[in-house]
Amino acid sequence: MNATSAVGAIVRAVPEALLVASLGTATSALRAATDDGPHLYLGGAMGSALATAVGVAEKRPERRVVAILGDGELLMGASSLWTLAGSRARHLTVAVLSDGHYSITGGQPLGVQPAFVEVAAALGLDAVRADTEGQVANALGGPEPCAFVEIRCDERDWPGPSPFVDPPIVRWRFEHAARA
Amino acid sequence: MTEVALVDAPAAPAWSRELARRLVDGGVEVAAWVPDKRLAPLAAELDAIGAEVRTLTREEECVGYAAGFRAAGGTPVVLMQCSGLGNAVNALSSLAVPYGLGFVVVLSMRGTLGERNPAQVPLGRTAVGMLSLLGIQSFSLRSPEDVTAVTDGALALADGAREVSAIVLEPELSLGS
Repeated sequence: MNATSAVGAIVRAVPEALLVASLGTATSALRAATDDGPHLYLGGAMGSALATAVGVAEKRPERRVVAILGDGELLMGASSLWTLAGSRARHLTVAVLSDGHYSITGGQPLGVQPAFVEVAAALGLDAVRADTEGQVANALGGPEPCAFVEIRCDERDWPGPSPFVDPPIVRWRFEHAARA
Repeated sequence: MTEVALVDAPAAPAWSRELARRLVDGGVEVAAWVPDKRLAPLAAELDAIGAEVRTLTREEECVGYAAGFRAAGGTPVVLMQCSGLGNAVNALSSLAVPYGLGFVVVLSMRGTLGERNPAQVPLGRTAVGMLSLLGIQSFSLRSPEDVTAVTDGALALADGAREVSAIVLEPELSLGS
């Protein structure tokens, strides 16, 4: 999988979900996979995308919410996994695009043990790895979706669209999508 | 709610009860905070009168949480000590401010009048200037009689004008109570 095919599998599994994407690959891939749909793309605030998704999910408990994060992003805000584990937002899934690199800064390796699933599981989160689009669909679909899925992307090609979004337009479109 | 009930908060002074009441009457549904002794009575009062209090792990996380809550149609508030503002600068300046996801930040001041800890001073004396450089207006509360006007005004600015707006709890407020 690459980031765009992984995000495409997410969108097909939960087409009505509110989606929050972190700076960089996740935002670019979500723009590519949804033809620039009305999602909450973060153009900055690295490390804060999961917290942002928790805020969305706790305000909108009736909606499915997915936080699409790069693996570097997850590391930079890793303490939010503890917040997620303590949240009542059982309708929120964290999907980590895991390729072992900081893509937006030029492809430097993370340089850490990629024990994302093990850490999430230790916090009591229902956590799985996905190596195929079918496994992504299984993790997100159904009445009891996983709280955490590490999607291993063995292809590191850049999705295409710019990760630099126009914030007021992103916010306005997302607010309307959240109210729908 | 349980997480705040665990806080060993001193009895809430009248100004903090009024501040909590104005926030809740103004529509605030949730307060995201990192625990702070001077904010504890306010958090406990918010909890007592029906706002949810979310204890998070870091101040930038509070900003992200509040930005998401606001983007989803809610009205959050963030409570932080001024030293936490240092942790939150990037989330404020690259998320809340440019996206127009306004909310009120209640900032408790350290490092200024009465401070005995040298490590608190640099951020204490810098906090309001940092906010100003980010284009965030801050409103100092020094006297209990200003609570209503400042709180209502900051909420209007956050809600209507979509501005992050800071209510600064100055030391005189506690020293005088």
